Amino acid sequence: MGQTLAEKLLSRHNLAREPVKAGDIVDARIDGAMCHYHFMDVHRLAVQAGFTDGFPRVWDRDKVFFLIDHHQPALSQSIADDNALIRKEASRLGVNIFHDAEPGIAHQMILDYGLARPGELVVGMDSHTIGYGALNAGATGITRPDLMYAMLFGELWFQVPSSVKIVLKGTQPRYPIAKDIMLYLAGKYGDDFAQNMSIEFTGPLVPQLSIDSRACLSTHGVEVAAKFAMFPADEKTDAFLRGRTDKPYEPLVADADAEYVREIVVDVDEMPFVVAKPHQFGNVVPVDEVKGTRIDQAQIGSCANGRFEDIEIAARMLKGRKVAKGVRFLVSPASQQVYLQCLKTGLIEQLIESGAQVVTPGCGVCQPKVGFLSAGEVCITATTRNFKGRKGSLEAQIYLGGPLTVTAAAVAGEIVNPKEVFHEL
Amino acid sequence: MSFDLNRAITGRVWKFGDSVDTDSINPYYLYSTMAELKKHTLESFRPEFPKEVKPGDIIVAGRNFGCGSHRPGLVLKEIGIAAIVVESASRLFLRNSIALPMPIFIAPEIGKIIEDGATLELDYRRTLARNVATGATVTLRKYPPTIEAIFESGGMAAFARKRYLAETAS
Repeated sequence: MGQTLAEKLLSRHNLAREPVKAGDIVDARIDGAMCHYHFMDVHRLAVQAGFTDGFPRVWDRDKVFFLIDHHQPALSQSIADDNALIRKEASRLGVNIFHDAEPGIAHQMILDYGLARPGELVVGMDSHTIGYGALNAGATGITRPDLMYAMLFGELWFQVPSSVKIVLKGTQPRYPIAKDIMLYLAGKYGDDFAQNMSIEFTGPLVPQLSIDSRACLSTHGVEVAAKFAMFPADEKTDAFLRGRTDKPYEPLVADADAEYVREIVVDVDEMPFVVAKPHQFGNVVPVDEVKGTRIDQAQIGSCANGRFEDIEIAARMLKGRKVAKGVRFLVSPASQQVYLQCLKTGLIEQLIESGAQVVTPGCGVCQPKVGFLSAGEVCITATTRNFKGRKGSLEAQIYLGGPLTVTAAAVAGEIVNPKEVFHEL
Repeated sequence: MSFDLNRAITGRVWKFGDSVDTDSINPYYLYSTMAELKKHTLESFRPEFPKEVKPGDIIVAGRNFGCGSHRPGLVLKEIGIAAIVVESASRLFLRNSIALPMPIFIAPEIGKIIEDGATLELDYRRTLARNVATGATVTLRKYPPTIEAIFESGGMAAFARKRYLAETAS
């Protein structure tokens, strides 16, 4: 019997050097471990466990990545104090890859700086680590005690997941639809249809998808409960990595006779624009069902939708138009690199001229850190989650949509089918 | 901090539905200290929960418990929740509960035998959950030996420390 991508991945990294199959538990060698702003919590765990002076070592100074992402620039005194301690620890441990003076989302910076490559097993102390699957990396979120273990030994236990194949068919329109695809899947199959599984994206749409779209799809793998969410590596993967990494890599390729627990086919030509209503990712309806819902805030950003193409479509649609009076339209590039690209191509100027606000790169707009909502307020957002209280008040309503749907709502002042606002589509 | 998988647990049930998220369990964006988190945990689903929960109580929930971020259920341990029994757990929440460790059990049929406020007995040794009043039982899923070993070591941090000491002693 052939192997899935996940079985190939964990066979390749199995310390016992034996092929594995779904259900097996393995101790695996890891290629990279990402640690973000919560490092001091991991440090404190190590102290509690008996390492009274903190970590005695890291297993590989080039494979532990520290990024002070969510909390850069410091949002409070206590965060500033923790960030200072992280700098001290990073220096003491000799961590070579340390981004501490640069705002942005760790996951996008990992992609920007070529730190996750095809075929690698990369773990991170954040659920959206799974997004590096866009580049054919086996990437997944782990817990703080797991990270402590991984930083010390460069190894970790995994259960080899079963796999679900998602076949994407149809044609890429002239606007991003990755968000709509994941919302559509969650709405149709439930917000845990891939619980503990590995998603493999395949089908004729895949070569048409940009790396930005693939990153959105892989990142949202966790919103349908997956462990991995991987794309095959192709010319676009190689082109993206060129100039970002000079290390060789060996992509994973699934066997033709690999076994999948489920195969789901999505024809994007037949897919409507969709939104998730409050307060769950899987609470999805076609946008027409909630049209006319007035909004107070619209947002584009996060590790799901803060990439160039998400901001490009907003700027393109805003040309010659204005954000509706009274609507706060927050746009936050995922990283400094994305921000710079947007700036050089004139997108930022267009956003500001049309009445949008540009927020420093980072996780803030996806959480109640930037742009809190008051009771009764309504927000539509191209970010990761819409749990109750995610933007402050438990009485606020958060809808999730793609960047095009969000921009249409920002212009109309209410949720609307983008085709009714943007006749050029 | 370890707990004995073989010791039976009995407690009053707080019942929740599907897809209870970690933002609700651990709303740390809004409340930065453990003292504040204890006063607000799970209030977005059941406002009375943080006010009325007692040490020794058990959480019973539907599928996908603990979905969302990588944040742990430490606050539930801190308020004295004795165990969590769910139809299914979000992968990262389950991994977190193993790593902490916090007693968590998977029982796909649990919702059928127990109501909110009733008393539940959990006996992992016999892989059984029992409604004390009605006597109805359902099966608890057995963990693989690797995971039982982490639970018994007192979680991943203690497990890591033990391995480090063993390796550096030799």
